[in-house]
Order: sequence, then structure tokens, then C-alpha cells
Amino acid sequence: MKTAKEDYRNRIELLQGTLDMLILQTLQWGAQHGYAISQALRARSGEVLQVETGSLYPALHRMERHQWIAAEWKMTEQNQRARFYRITAEGRKQLARDRSKWDTMVAAIASIMEA
Amino acid sequence: MSFRWLRFDRRKSELDAELEFHRRMAVADRMGRGESEPEARAAVERELGNVPLAKDVTRQAWGWLFLERLGNDFRYAWRQIRRSPGFAATVIGTLALGIAAATAMFTVVDRVLLEPVHFRDASRIVTLSETNRNDKISYNVPWLDLQQWMEQSHSFSGIAFDSGWGNGRSYLEGPSSSLNINATEVSSNFFQLLGIAPELGRTFVPVKPAYGANENTGQIVLSHIVWKQFFGGDKNILGRNVRINDASFTVIGVMPSGFKYPVAAPFDAQVWMAIQLGDQDKGRDWQSERYHVLARLRPGVSLASARAEMQTIQNRVIINYKDPDERAYYGVAGIQRYSESLVNADLRKALLALLAAAGVLWLIAAVNVTNLLLARATARQREIAMRGALGASRGRVIQQMLVEGLVFSGCAALLGAALAFTSVKLLTHELALRLPIAVPAAPNISVLLGLAALTLASALFSSAWPALIAVRLPIEPALRQGGMQAGTGRGHHRMRGALVSIEIAMSLTLLVSCGLLLRTIYSLRHVPLGYRTDHIVVAHLNIPQFRFATGNVLQALYNPLVERAQHLPGVQTAGLISEVPLGHTFNIGLTLRTDKNSEIASALKVASPTMQQIFGFKMLAGRFFNSGDTPSSQAAVLVNPAFARIYAPNKHDPASVIGMELWSLRKNQPGHIVGVLDNERQTTVAEPSQPEVEICLCQIAPDVSAYRISTMAMDLAVRTDRPAAQIIPELREVLRQATPEFAQAPISSMDDIVEDSFGSQRLAAHLLEIFGLSALLLCVAGLYGLLAYIVTQRTREMGVRIALGAPRGNLLWLVLRQAGAMLLVGVAAGSALAWTSSRLLRGFLFGVQAHDGWTLTLSALLLFASGMLAAYLPARRASRVNPMEALRAE
Repeated sequence: MKTAKEDYRNRIELLQGTLDMLILQTLQWGAQHGYAISQALRARSGEVLQVETGSLYPALHRMERHQWIAAEWKMTEQNQRARFYRITAEGRKQLARDRSKWDTMVAAIASIMEA
Repeated sequence: MSFRWLRFDRRKSELDAELEFHRRMAVADRMGRGESEPEARAAVERELGNVPLAKDVTRQAWGWLFLERLGNDFRYAWRQIRRSPGFAATVIGTLALGIAAATAMFTVVDRVLLEPVHFRDASRIVTLSETNRNDKISYNVPWLDLQQWMEQSHSFSGIAFDSGWGNGRSYLEGPSSSLNINATEVSSNFFQLLGIAPELGRTFVPVKPAYGANENTGQIVLSHIVWKQFFGGDKNILGRNVRINDASFTVIGVMPSGFKYPVAAPFDAQVWMAIQLGDQDKGRDWQSERYHVLARLRPGVSLASARAEMQTIQNRVIINYKDPDERAYYGVAGIQRYSESLVNADLRKALLALLAAAGVLWLIAAVNVTNLLLARATARQREIAMRGALGASRGRVIQQMLVEGLVFSGCAALLGAALAFTSVKLLTHELALRLPIAVPAAPNISVLLGLAALTLASALFSSAWPALIAVRLPIEPALRQGGMQAGTGRGHHRMRGALVSIEIAMSLTLLVSCGLLLRTIYSLRHVPLGYRTDHIVVAHLNIPQFRFATGNVLQALYNPLVERAQHLPGVQTAGLISEVPLGHTFNIGLTLRTDKNSEIASALKVASPTMQQIFGFKMLAGRFFNSGDTPSSQAAVLVNPAFARIYAPNKHDPASVIGMELWSLRKNQPGHIVGVLDNERQTTVAEPSQPEVEICLCQIAPDVSAYRISTMAMDLAVRTDRPAAQIIPELREVLRQATPEFAQAPISSMDDIVEDSFGSQRLAAHLLEIFGLSALLLCVAGLYGLLAYIVTQRTREMGVRIALGAPRGNLLWLVLRQAGAMLLVGVAAGSALAWTSSRLLRGFLFGVQAHDGWTLTLSALLLFASGMLAAYLPARRASRVNPMEALRAE
């Protein structure tokens, strides 16, 4: 009885650490709503990374609960109500931690692959 | 909670809005790139994927989903109950029965064994006593010994003492009425030692015990009940003068409600005065006052080390006793937790055995419910398979079924608790007779916790297994086959059969225990007592001594009272005795000296000569008291066979005790034994009497040493032809005229007194009757339920069999055989179980062995017969199946 839900969970787990980091990085340049975040990730990765809604929103809400980001309903430029997320001080610290972990890991993997 | 749900709902709609915004933006973007609206919408839907699932996972990130699901499960369980109320009622009723029995027994055990007293840190409070080396009987302690304990011991943070049982024959006098109270004298540090502060005012000033009056003399502390009942809860009670037994005291404090001391005293109306040491505390002989001693163990000191220290001290104390007999009597230092000293070992065992029996009944109920839920899980196979097919995980289905179980057991717990406390209330009389502590018919914290644990256990026990089995079945076949006739493997039936057999085995154990106790009661009722108990009415009188302090109580009270009772219509004879046989109201123990100057320990009774006519006492030798016995004639003494057996010059001839002289009954004048009563059951029916002497009430005078005790309590017994209910009001009027304090005296028939003396056996028998019958009912219901279910499942098979020519009798036999097999297995296992468990009952049994073949056989037959009767109904239905209908049903 393997369900679709379990597949989703697997993908989230796979991305979890990095997805959080990518979102925080994106929010460094200013508050954004969910759709804009997904578009930004897509554009900056050269259309390689397509974050699914089933991963993005759980991640946003989880990070909100951790108080790395804060959310607020605001009007967009097109005058529509949207939920905007902005990075908090705690979120910046988390980003720095993720960042250094990521750098270490990239360096480690690179040294293995190039040996 | 509602606030939380409100917030939860708002966040849910916010999430919807957020995702809707995402969708709109995506569509707008694609249209901006030149796609048509339908194209863009379709592409976005594909991108978004399973939106409800995404929402689900997001909500999980809030950490609330669990609660939401639980709420759904509860709502669903409630709908299930409303949809099949009959099934729900059966399950809830069955569980309620089990929970009620367990809760009621736990309430009793909790109060009597676990938390009998509510003193601060009560487990560190111990009683100290002097204990006989040989028979381990504990005695209270004279002041001189106690003083040495106080000076030399280091194990205790404090030692307090009191006058023991207190004087229950005290009367608090008011302007118009008087209240029978229990007055206890306590040492000045007593309340501090127990760690109970007064509700109002103060308690005694702690002073070092010394001879003579001190600042506590003449002061009194009231119990909450006395304050409320007698003084109407007057806040200005402090400093008031009250009169008790013609003496005057100043009220200094009121204890909080619920405080009772002595804990096991029959009265809740209590007062406490300060002990004043005097001449009676300057020696160690039979005239010295003896005190009940309480001590608080120092933190970190164990009972064993305290006992060792006390024994070392007692070895020094005992040197002060010159008589070697006395050294043996008082030689061992006794120390026991106070709460344990309240309940004797027999009663403790009895209560634990009954708790175990109630536990077994609960198990039977839970097994029965397991069986019912198993049956329903089978019937709901399709529904569960459908849930699986729609994506519910196994854990989710199990959770939902457990919640259903919890709803059932929650309802059952409410019903069961109500049932339990009602029965505790109904059994108050039975309980009060044998338990030293009143059991309240209301739950306390630990009972509530126990009830909650029981509820959870019931839910888990009865629904976990059906849930596990239900989710383990493969989904596909269940969906494909469907219908009532879906096969549920032989293994499943066999398992449910095993459950029924287990129920039968446990029920047999309860039935056998019940049978053994019923036989015990029967044997007890048929013990030759040595006296008649029919047509006798007894009034138990606590004499208000203060009224008769001067003059002679015989002339002032006893003789006129007997005279008036004697002349009531229908009364043949009336008389007084200090305690009727089996009365358990007023024991007098004394030490006598024989002419050879050796000591004799014996119980004492004071009786009118008319007692022989009333009770029909037979004489083994010699004569009863008669009119020739007067205050001026030689003191006549009667003894019982137990006395004669021990003290007669010729051990084999009780008559040889006649003529023996006994000293210390009258000053400087011996009493002569004039007769031996043929009377073996004085205090309990189950055991032969201890040595006892009786003296004649007509020879009592103020200068006789037994005078004081014969002014404390008396039982008035009358022999009458009239029914007790008729004579009691008239007798009560006679009593009231004698002295107003007697208006509330307890009056009962002698037959009731005998019946009440069976105490713990009768309590156990009553409870086991209830438990046994409930068990029988439950297991018969369980057996019937299973067979009815099997027959329904096999309707088609039965139809085919009949269509192929099977005689209907064969089908009847087919079902009965199945029932018989379950019953036989259950009875066999139950016999083994009963054989081992009935040993636990050994302490209660009288006139019947723990391993009694007859009881076992009869119980097994009863169970078997009721089981077969229950099986007959489904069996008959099986044999009447109409083949056409059964086959068409598919």
C-alpha cells in the first residue's frame, strides 16, 4: 500500500536541507510570495530546478514555525492579496550555518570526485 | 479548545488562498507568454500535482494534523455508535460491568490498604508497643517504659501517646440534648507529630510530659463534626466552656473535616483532651495506665533499624519487671506502620483476593468485548478494505479503530464509575461491619487515576487485536468478494473460540470461589453455638457514666430498666449482659489470681441471672447464677470450657474446676467457681472461645472491682414472641425513659448479630456472588454471540447441507458440538485454574476445604448447562434454515 503521499515525503526529505537554504538565500534580497520564490529559484538555476508546490509550501510553513522566516499578507504590484515571506535574524543565522555546511560538503565531494 | 479550532480553520482557508494565488499567477504568466487560457490552466494543474495532498503535508508542518485526525476519528466513532446502538449498548454495558467491579474494589482497597490515613507523610508514622514473646500479642505501654523509650531512642523525630481506643461512652452535654462522642486523651505533642493543623484555633501547647496539671489541663479540641453538629459551626466557639461527662473544658481548637482519631473508632464525633500524668503512671503493675504510642521515623531511618534500636532499649526496660511471666509478656519491642496496624492480615488478604476477583471479572468483560469487536471487524472488512484502497495507511486505520475502542471504554468508564459508587453506597453496612475505616462512595485522585488507566487498558486490550487483524487482511479479495458470506478463515473462528474458552475458564474460577464461600456461610450458620439466638432482641447501651457517678448504677438504672423491659407486652424475659455472645461491642480482659497465686488471663462478662432463660445457656457442670447470689453472698463465678480446659486441676474433667477460688474480683475476698457453661462460641463462630469468666450483675456493688467496667456498657437482651420490628419501638421508648442518652442506642435481633459476626466471609460471599453471576452472564453472552455469528456466516453452508438431504437434527448437533468443545476446553482449563487459585481463599473458609470436589463439580456443571442452553438457540436456528432462502440470498 505504497501511496503517492510517501513519494512526496521522500522527495521533500531529499531536498530538505538544501531547499531551506535556497529559499533563505532567495529571501535575502527582499520579501517575496511563494510563487515568486519558485520563479526566482527556477530563473537563477537556469531553469534546472523546478520546485514543486508539494515541497515549497510545506517547507515555507515549516520554516515559518521555526521562525526563520515571517509571513504577512500584502498587496502585490498587480494589486492582488498575497502572502509575503521575509527572512528573520534567526533565518540569517540559519542561512550562514547551512552555507558553511554546504561549502564543506561541496569541497569534500569535490575532493573525492577529483582524486 | 474552540479558540484553537477557530485559528486552525482560519489558517486552513489562508492556505487555500495562498495556493489559489499561486495558481492564478502561474496561469497569468503562461498566458503572458502566449498560451491560451485552457492550455495554461491544464499545464498549471499538471505542475501543481496533487493539491489536497500538498495541503495535507503543509498542514502537517503546523503540527496540528494529528489533532485534526483525532477529532475526525472521535466524530466518526460517535456516528458508528449512533448507527448501531444495540451493538454499542452491549459493548458498553459489558465493559461497564467489568470496570464497575474493579473500580468499586479498588476504591475499597485504596481507602483501607493504601491510604487509610491522611496524616502528613503518613508512611513514616509507626505504632510502638510491648509484645508478648510467645503469642505476639501487643500491649499498650505504661508511662515509665515509654519515658525510657523517649530518652534513649534516636530513630524518631518525635514520640506521642494517647489513651488508645478512647472513651466511646462519653457524652457532650448541651442545654437540651447530649451527644454520644468518642473522647481520647492525647499527649501535648500529638497533633504536631501527625502534622495536622487545626481548622480553627490551636491545638495543645507542646510541653515535656510531667506529673500533675499543666497549661493544657482542662482544654479540649473538637472534631469538625462535633463543631458542626453540636455547635452549628459557630465561629466564636473558641474559649467556650463545654461539659463532657459532668466535667468542664475550654474549647481551644477545631480540627479540619476528615480528621479522625482513633481512625477506626465507631464515632465520627470526636474530641481530644490532654493527658495528665498522675499516680496511675508511677508504676508498672495492673493498676497502671497503659498508652497507645505513635512515633514518627526520622528521615532515612528504616523500620528495621528502628526495630533493632527499640529492642536494645526494651532489653534494658524489661529488667524493671521482676516477674518472669511479665518479662515474657512485654519483652519484645513491637513496631509497625500505623496504617498497617489498622488492618489485620486476614482482612488484608481478603481484600486483595476480592480485588483479584474483580480484576478477573474485568478481564472476562474485556475478552468478551474483544470478541464482539472481532466480529464487527469482520463485518466491516469491506469498509476497511475500501479505506485502504483510497489511500489510508495501516497506522491510520489502526488509530481510528483504537479511537473507537476508546470511545466505547470511555462511555463504559462513566457508567461503570456510577455503578461502582452506587454499589459502594449500597454495601455501606456490610463494609462498615468488617472494615476499620469508612469507605466514601466518591472517587479521590488515585481512584480517578486508576479509573483512567483502566479505561485506557480496556480500550487497548479490547480493540488493539481486532484492529491489527483487520488491517492485515489483503484489500483486494475483500473488495472483490464482499457480501456477508466473505470467508473469514478457520483460524479466525478458532481464535474467537479460544477467547470464549478463556472466558469460561475464568468464570469457572469465580464460580468456584463463590461456591466455596457460600458453603462457608452455610457451615458457619450450622455451627452449634451452645445457645439459642432466635426471638431475642438486643440493645447495645453506652452508659452515660457521669449521670451515675454517685450512688449505685444498679439501683439507679439497671434494675428499673430490666423491670420495665420485662413488663413490655410479649416479653418473656429481660436481662443485662456486658456483651452478648458475638456482639463485638465491649471486651473486658483481666488478669486474675488463683488460690495458688498464679496469674490467669481471661475475658470477663457481667450477666444477669435471667440470661440463662433468654439464651438457653446449657451447663456442662454446676449451676448458673440464681436469686441466691446477692451482694452479700459469696461471689459466684462461671467459666467457659476453654477456661476449664486450661486451668482445671484435672485437665480431662471440666467439672473439677468448680470450687476453685479466684482472687482480685473483690477486695480481699475470693470468688468461687460455681459452674461451667457449655458454650464454645463466644466471640466468633469460626473459632472456639478464649478463656472467659462471668460474674453476676446482681453481686456487683460500688466496692467490687468490676463495678467500674460494668458501668461503661451493657447489652439489654429480651426474649419475646413478637417480631423484632414490632417490639423495637416500644423497647426504644423504655430506653429513652431510662435515660435520654439511650434514645439513639442501636437495637438489633440476635439473629442479625450472629449474621453480622460472619463479617468478612459474608462480605466476600456477597461480592463473589455478584462477581460470579456477572461472570456467568458474560460468558454465556459471549458464547451465544459467537455461535449466533458463526451460524449466520454459515447459513449458506447449512442450506446446502439441508438441500443435499442432511437431517435437521444433524445440524443442531453440529452447532451444539462446537459449543460443547469450547465449554469442555474452558471447563478443563478453568478447573486447573480454580484448583490453584482457591488456595488464596484458604484463610476465609470454614467447614470446607479449599480443594473441594463437590463445589468444583457443581460449578462446572452449572457453567456447562448454562453454556449449552445458550448454544441451543443458535443451534435451533441453524437447523431451521430454509434451503431455498439461504441459497437465494447470494
